[in-house]
Amino acid sequence: MTDMPDIPRPPGVPHGPDVPHEPGASREPDVPYEPGTSRDPGTSRDPGTSRDPGTSREPGTSREPGRSREPDPGASAVQPGRPARRSFLRGAIGAGVAGVATGGAGGLAAGYAYRSSRPVPAADAAALAAAQGRLPPVAFHGAHQAGILRPAAPQTAVVSFDVVARGRAELTDLLQTITSRARFLTRGGTPPPVGISAPPSDSGILGPTVVPDGLTVTAAVGASLFDGRYGLGPQRPAGLTTMLPFPNDALDEAQCQGDLVLQVSGGHTDVVLHALRDITRHTRGGMQVRWRIDGFLSPGRPAGTTPRNLLGFMDGIANPGVTVAAQMNRLVWVQPGQPGESAWTAGGSYLVVRLIRMLTEFWDRVAITEQENMIGRRRDTGAPLDGDNEFDIPDYAADPTGDVIPLAAHMRLANPRTPQTASSRILRRGHNYDRGIDEVGNLDMGLIFTCYQQDIKRQFEAVQKRLIGEPLVDYISPFGGGYFFALPGVAGDADFFGKAMLA
Amino acid sequence: MRGGWLVAVSSVLLVAGSACSSGSAAANRVAVSTGACGARWQPSAPGWRTFEVYNGSTAGAEVELINPANGAIYAEIEGMGPATTRPMRIDLGSGSYAFRCLIEDTDAITGPVTRIPGHRRGASAIVPATVTDLLEPAREYHAYVTAGLRVLTRRTGTLVRDIERGDLAAARAAWLPAHLTYERLGAAYGTFGNFDDEIDGRADGLVGGVASPDFTGFYRLEYGLWHGQSAAELRGPARRLARAVHGLRAAFPQMEIDLLDLGLRTHEILENALQFQLSGHDDYGSGTTLATTAANITGTRELLRILHPLLITRYRNLPAVYSSLDLLQRLIDAEQQPGGRWVPVRKLGTLTRERIDAAAGQALEVLAPIAVILEPRRT
Repeated sequence: MTDMPDIPRPPGVPHGPDVPHEPGASREPDVPYEPGTSRDPGTSRDPGTSRDPGTSREPGTSREPGRSREPDPGASAVQPGRPARRSFLRGAIGAGVAGVATGGAGGLAAGYAYRSSRPVPAADAAALAAAQGRLPPVAFHGAHQAGILRPAAPQTAVVSFDVVARGRAELTDLLQTITSRARFLTRGGTPPPVGISAPPSDSGILGPTVVPDGLTVTAAVGASLFDGRYGLGPQRPAGLTTMLPFPNDALDEAQCQGDLVLQVSGGHTDVVLHALRDITRHTRGGMQVRWRIDGFLSPGRPAGTTPRNLLGFMDGIANPGVTVAAQMNRLVWVQPGQPGESAWTAGGSYLVVRLIRMLTEFWDRVAITEQENMIGRRRDTGAPLDGDNEFDIPDYAADPTGDVIPLAAHMRLANPRTPQTASSRILRRGHNYDRGIDEVGNLDMGLIFTCYQQDIKRQFEAVQKRLIGEPLVDYISPFGGGYFFALPGVAGDADFFGKAMLA
Repeated sequence: MRGGWLVAVSSVLLVAGSACSSGSAAANRVAVSTGACGARWQPSAPGWRTFEVYNGSTAGAEVELINPANGAIYAEIEGMGPATTRPMRIDLGSGSYAFRCLIEDTDAITGPVTRIPGHRRGASAIVPATVTDLLEPAREYHAYVTAGLRVLTRRTGTLVRDIERGDLAAARAAWLPAHLTYERLGAAYGTFGNFDDEIDGRADGLVGGVASPDFTGFYRLEYGLWHGQSAAELRGPARRLARAVHGLRAAFPQMEIDLLDLGLRTHEILENALQFQLSGHDDYGSGTTLATTAANITGTRELLRILHPLLITRYRNLPAVYSSLDLLQRLIDAEQQPGGRWVPVRKLGTLTRERIDAAAGQALEVLAPIAVILEPRRT
């Protein structure tokens, strides 16, 4: 199964695209996420030097013109209030946000700033964030959604909603509201006081000033949104269907699909939950949570290596390099004029979510050699069974009968590394999950497999079909998830999620 | 806990203001001496500002920033301890402002008026509701409950008599009308004190749960009537319910309605409904929690009807309150079966249940500001 995923993003390792480990695969930029960890001493500020938030500029208020990627909507102290909302949206809470921290170092640019050799001014938002143990803010606006290529975040919540908005106008309003909240939350700032007009407009769990902490809010729609309710049938992305069970699946319908899925990711759990509470509060009458799962990314163990999944194996050693635009255009983004696709889908990407229980008690009773043969890698070092190091490239041609790396090893089936299978590669962005126990008292943990691709049939399904019946299936149980289409990015303040879809 | 409008204050109150976003803090500092409340502060351009409000007295204090023309409140700080500083953040538009300090045993003191020039809109102010404003609504609500208790007594009597006679089919039919009559009163969070526990207490928190001898009231009877218990088993709890209802009816004329509760109840009734009824938690067998929710909507609407004159001038989003309740009501009514039967919430289809829950959540969001707006404040 593809679902056995590589969790990307090895923290703490200074290799980048300039140090190619395998053809076409490049390591992802590092984003530090351990509090107080900043690799570049020049970017960090002594936390003790930061002033009282009430009197100092808020994090993110400083701008570095050379790095800011968006116009500076926060320059004025007050944002214009949003137009009156429809009945299902909160009217009492001020939608306008005051004293908003400005974009600061934006988006991927900010995410990559850590690898930059450029000296970063001490006042830079990224540096301040790092000094305070937070991730730098990620620009919300762009041609693509910011949370897709970006390495998996330390904390995430994947939340599927059913839309209950009545009619297209309310759906439009719902998407506008999600957009405006995400715009604020990813940028940060101080929520407006409400005087004696309402309860506080913010949950307060991040303190008086909302910090972005690398927050991304990624929105994707399910096939059910394109049924008769909103007259969107003709707009359905050509490759968007309902996920059907594969032979080894045990899908629970209540934990599958949904009209709209939001993946909220950031540096810490509180930031993720704050964003989730804010968004659901503002959209109470427009959508209802259908299912939800929270995930985390393990730190590299040992430090600097690729994070491990809960089977104990490094996961995500190979992933298509996201800095190679041509490759992303071939594998991830729906292209303008792509045959069969509506024009509005350009810049979006198909998202597959698979919730995969790992039967860890059973797994832990399996001999190490058997475990490694099922995966195709060493558990300790992450090296392929025919290599010595994590980033050694397996040479399947030299091992045609699978004497060293079994033919049914997960790694080998998922990516046979042949010219014929190159176009089926996917961009994986998985997280581990852990949520209590099952009926027999075993620990319920596993993987939130997420992957992005240009074409689910050509990519995820092709990979998944190769994995049918692999030995690993006895130790895992996919129970939920679905197929979605991650919307094109929000271009600017006048744009919103799905605007072109609704046009 | 929320009744902080009566604040004991004694002596000195110092109010200082400082610019937040721009300008010099010192230039905007405002000081207050004994017997005064805020000095004139430097009028400057409109915009966001944070005042540092310092209570220099030896007692608690309450400070408001008001429009001196009509007493409308832009911002307030309640329950300030002595010798504490609290920030007051406000988007100042063009207009007139003054601080107002509420001090024990004296009239409220209003400081000098500061004018902000220009034509820019800032935060809006709300005219506070006073104790006087709320007296008449409280009287009306008292009358509503009194009338409801009369009906409750009659319907409970029918239920209890059916059980006494051993006609449990009739008792099952009589149970719902009696229970809904109680639920329409808007009792939430122990409005009626111990009577509420006796009449409508759930089994949670009782050792032994539904088997506890302390489990009593409507839910106790529901549990027995829908779990095959005999009339003999139910006679005791039925009599106890009748006693409690009579006791409440007798005691209610002397019960005072907390003015603070009037606003709070407008969302608390449905908070309870979402937590206990729409979740199915309080379904002890009859599967009628949708009906209970509908009864709770009725109770909420009655409060809104009574408070409408106060809200219409203070709450811009009031129309959304009514439309959201209408929607919730419609969605629930649509699930009532022919013959008046109700579907247990767990048997609702996913989308139906999501729609109802979303509508309830939305109604609560727009109801919630009412408690803040109608909190009785000193004038």
